[in-house]
Amino acid sequence: MGDYVWFHDVSWHATYAIYFFVIGICAGLSFLSYGSWRTEALRPLREKAAYGSFALLVVGGLLLIGDLSQPLRFLNILNPAYLNFTSPLAWGALNIVAFGIASVLYLAALKQGSQARGKVLATVTALLALGLPIYTGYDLTVHQSRPVWNTPVMPVLFVALAIASGSAVGAILAGANESAQRLLREYLLWSTAAVGVILVSILGTTNYGGAAQELTFMILTTGTMGLIFVGIGIVVGTAAPIALLLAPFGRQQVGVVVAGVLVLAGGAALRYALLMGPQQLQTLY
Amino acid sequence: MSDELRVSPIETREVPGKRRFAMVVDTRRCIGCMACQVACKAEYDTPLGVNRTWVPYKVVGKYPNVKKQFLPRLCNHCDDPPCVRNCPVGATYKHEDGGFVLQRYERCIGCRSCMAACPYNARFMLPSHRTYTPITNVVDKCTFCFHRVTQNLVPACVQTCIGRSRVFGDLNDPTSEVSYLVAKNATQVLRPEEGTKPHVFYIGADRNQTEFGRDAYRKPDVMELQRDAFKRHFNI
Ligand code: SF4
Ligand code: SF4
Repeated sequence: MGDYVWFHDVSWHATYAIYFFVIGICAGLSFLSYGSWRTEALRPLREKAAYGSFALLVVGGLLLIGDLSQPLRFLNILNPAYLNFTSPLAWGALNIVAFGIASVLYLAALKQGSQARGKVLATVTALLALGLPIYTGYDLTVHQSRPVWNTPVMPVLFVALAIASGSAVGAILAGANESAQRLLREYLLWSTAAVGVILVSILGTTNYGGAAQELTFMILTTGTMGLIFVGIGIVVGTAAPIALLLAPFGRQQVGVVVAGVLVLAGGAALRYALLMGPQQLQTLY
Repeated sequence: MSDELRVSPIETREVPGKRRFAMVVDTRRCIGCMACQVACKAEYDTPLGVNRTWVPYKVVGKYPNVKKQFLPRLCNHCDDPPCVRNCPVGATYKHEDGGFVLQRYERCIGCRSCMAACPYNARFMLPSHRTYTPITNVVDKCTFCFHRVTQNLVPACVQTCIGRSRVFGDLNDPTSEVSYLVAKNATQVLRPEEGTKPHVFYIGADRNQTEFGRDAYRKPDVMELQRDAFKRHFNI
């Protein structure tokens, strides 16, 4: 053992996982604020979700910039002369900026109480918000040499995670509002179920892949990473809330909030493990 | 690789009028002296803990038939490099003439996307403090000694290779030594399945080294000390 005396560090550290988590909730809340224009039950959440989403965008943006080794050069990514459109990061940066501008305009419309403009801007903001989990998933997918990352369902998984995390925060924000809670319970249930299905398909194909895939599967399912991924991510954060929401207790407001908290814990764990696990294998190669 | 195998327009192998530099590493001749690694460190003031080129080894076989197998490693200067595709600001790019994959240090934002994209772990982050060289906090890697090659010198590692294991030259020139070696020998590249078209060719590379083994999963605990020291050094 110890034959390989050189090792390499992982490219992306935990900050990036926290960013994934924050930006997922940010997108999910934006969906809810848009939903409030279409579904009366979500009306009480409109402003709260919009402000929450914007606040998280600021936090996410700072995390992203802070994670760069040259934080002040983040402006380079907005320089049209430098932009390289084969990189999902370039698209992501444009998406974030566009989403930020749309969010500010939307918040202004909400403040002015302008219905017509509010509705249009809510739609634009939600569409741009959809791009956030898609690009973060795509950011991983394009890395052809990384098992688990390099699966086309990664953007879909991140969208499902964004809806689940956003609905979970929405359930906490909705408090005692019964009709909102009832709807959010449905969102939570279906999005978490979608996360579960996608995870099963990812794990299944990974375990039956080549050597790199199998080793990544082992890294993700054993030891500390296994505890985070399987224990918190799948059991506590995906299976348990589904079971809870289906049980009579899960139809009560407290039950929905508890399920929401579990989904949030699971969402954080899954994003961390999905980011860090597949990077481990190459560090000794 | 023939003309028909070219897929992406970025590839310059066998493109008339263009040079395509490559390295051949004859692992049968490598004695594991690490002189190449030292020469590279000296050439570039490469900081502690990171390497532009490195020579991992493995003891393979069972007693009495054992050998120490070396596999000199460096950036493969891929003809279709995923690191270039993934850089959001064009800080890493492919040089048209010669196929060098190079860095624009002043442009790099340090997002490490290229590190994640490279299937060979050829890239690393420079630390924030260096004694002699002001280039810090950006990603770096082997440049195929661009500054030497454009002065008609071979890379520092090739110049110093005592076993003459490393050979460098223009693969688009049919009379070059690398063309001869690639034509006359069975060669391997690392991870051909990634479609990167690496331009470091190995003669006699051992599967024990080019493929992931279970070692990668059972990380020896002894490495954790070094890993911690490395992270402390880089503030990560
Ligand atoms: S070996 Fe890695 S760093 Fe070098 S060109 Fe290929 S992908 Fe890029
Ligand atoms: S770390 Fe630098 S060279 Fe690498 S992808 Fe980011 S900006 Fe490009």
